[in-house]
Amino acid sequence: MRGGRVAPALALALAALLLCPSGASARRAKKKKAPAKSKHIAAATFDPRLPLLGTKLAEFPAGPSKAIADQACLACHSVDLVAQQRLTEKQWGAEITKMTGWGADVPADRREELVGYLLKNFGPDAGPWDPIATRPAGK
Amino acid sequence: MKKSDGVVSGAPIDRRRFLALAGAAALVPGGALAALSSSDGIPVARRRLLQRNGYALDAETPLDALTTYLTPNDLFFVRHHWTPQYSGHRGWTLTIDGEVERPLRLTAQDLRGLPRTSVTCVLQCAGNGRGLFQPSIPGVQWKYGAVGNARWGGVRLRDLLDRAGLKATGKHLHTFGSDKPPVRVPPFHRSIEMEKVLADAIIADEMNGEPLPALHGGPARLVVPGWAGDHWMKWLERLSVQPEPQKGFYMETAYRYPKEPGAPGVVIPASEMRPVTELFVKSNVTEAPARARVGAPVLVRGFAFSGAADIARVDVTDDDGQTWQPAELDPQHDPWAWRLWSYRWSPSSAGRRTLRVRATDSRGAVQPKEAPWNPSGYLHNGWHSASIEVEG
Repeated sequence: MRGGRVAPALALALAALLLCPSGASARRAKKKKAPAKSKHIAAATFDPRLPLLGTKLAEFPAGPSKAIADQACLACHSVDLVAQQRLTEKQWGAEITKMTGWGADVPADRREELVGYLLKNFGPDAGPWDPIATRPAGK
Repeated sequence: MKKSDGVVSGAPIDRRRFLALAGAAALVPGGALAALSSSDGIPVARRRLLQRNGYALDAETPLDALTTYLTPNDLFFVRHHWTPQYSGHRGWTLTIDGEVERPLRLTAQDLRGLPRTSVTCVLQCAGNGRGLFQPSIPGVQWKYGAVGNARWGGVRLRDLLDRAGLKATGKHLHTFGSDKPPVRVPPFHRSIEMEKVLADAIIADEMNGEPLPALHGGPARLVVPGWAGDHWMKWLERLSVQPEPQKGFYMETAYRYPKEPGAPGVVIPASEMRPVTELFVKSNVTEAPARARVGAPVLVRGFAFSGAADIARVDVTDDDGQTWQPAELDPQHDPWAWRLWSYRWSPSSAGRRTLRVRATDSRGAVQPKEAPWNPSGYLHNGWHSASIEVEG
């Protein structure tokens, strides 16, 4: 999945363009159509400090293996989906087998390193993980 | 809080959240943000979605925001397999083909022009509660909030298939949305037995009286009352009537459940698995005080639902299931919808007390203490509880 890092960026850009009520395209649309007692999410009904869903993204823990985790995982989903798991070495190995079958970019000679990194940070004994509180984007 | 207990995490989080919002309120013109309510009555302090995947988007609703009969659209949990083409209505069409006499291609306007229906029912992700199973099961670690209750408006599939001329050979409805996966990842393609389709399913383009939001599958999605969310295909593009079920990862591997309860680490052969369909009987606590006093009654509230049957009763125990007291069911209900309940509890002794709740449906199915183990962590429905500190 070379060039995979483009995919999340594209997905986010799309989401921002199409979902985000404060996006530039939404502003342009409003100018044209004017009336819109818009049914967009009323800001007053949410804590305005909450980020819009999908706009705040966590990072993998720093370390020499972060780059391989970025490369392997982030083409299809965000760090959240990995960081909330608490899996054994066997389970992480099975996940990597599944994901590489689906196109994840894991060089064979770095597979064990990736398993070790995931186990160390997101193994059964890792601490609690708290989801980011957000407000919904778009209509 | 012990994860496996499923104790409602209200108290400490509420306090942290209150402090955070008290800080925010100082920055917001008009202040007192935490005291504000929106038109649905849910306080602003509780209005949030908990992000489980930043892309494709997955987020669950905190239980303390699931207090209304109809879950507001903007608080409804969000589930994507892949990012769809958020196409809007312009240029959108829905194709119906396969084992029909007259294939159809409908625009959003065509759909609006057909005889309308609506159904108020629960939508629950098959994996809701996966994060409560021990040992841990890979997948989105949903806790309690990948569930909501909404009024879905649209067109009966039966009417559309009548119009298309359903052939006797058409036994399964194959469903396709615009959420296409990257590269070699299998597509989220599904199918539903025609019997269920003809009996209950609708194509919804409205949610709680508003156009179906893009986040929830707009312009149109399937609604399959009583069945788990994996059947409710979003961002519909094509429906194809076929003699056989759909194939692929999301039919043959995912969304399958053991015919007999499994155990962690035990491999279950594919022949001993069946598709996830009807939701299991379940109840959750949505509101309970963090503190109470001996002899001073407090109100505990929640919701309960079951797949095909109505909720017959909800009971609460304060002695770990030795004795149960009936909760009061709210009069508002519809087939396949959830039932709100409330229970007035008078603490009889001081200390940390745990209330547990269980639902029973009209077919006699009783919510179990522990959810049945299954390899993918579907349909968790173990007893839910609330922990209350009682002062003497």
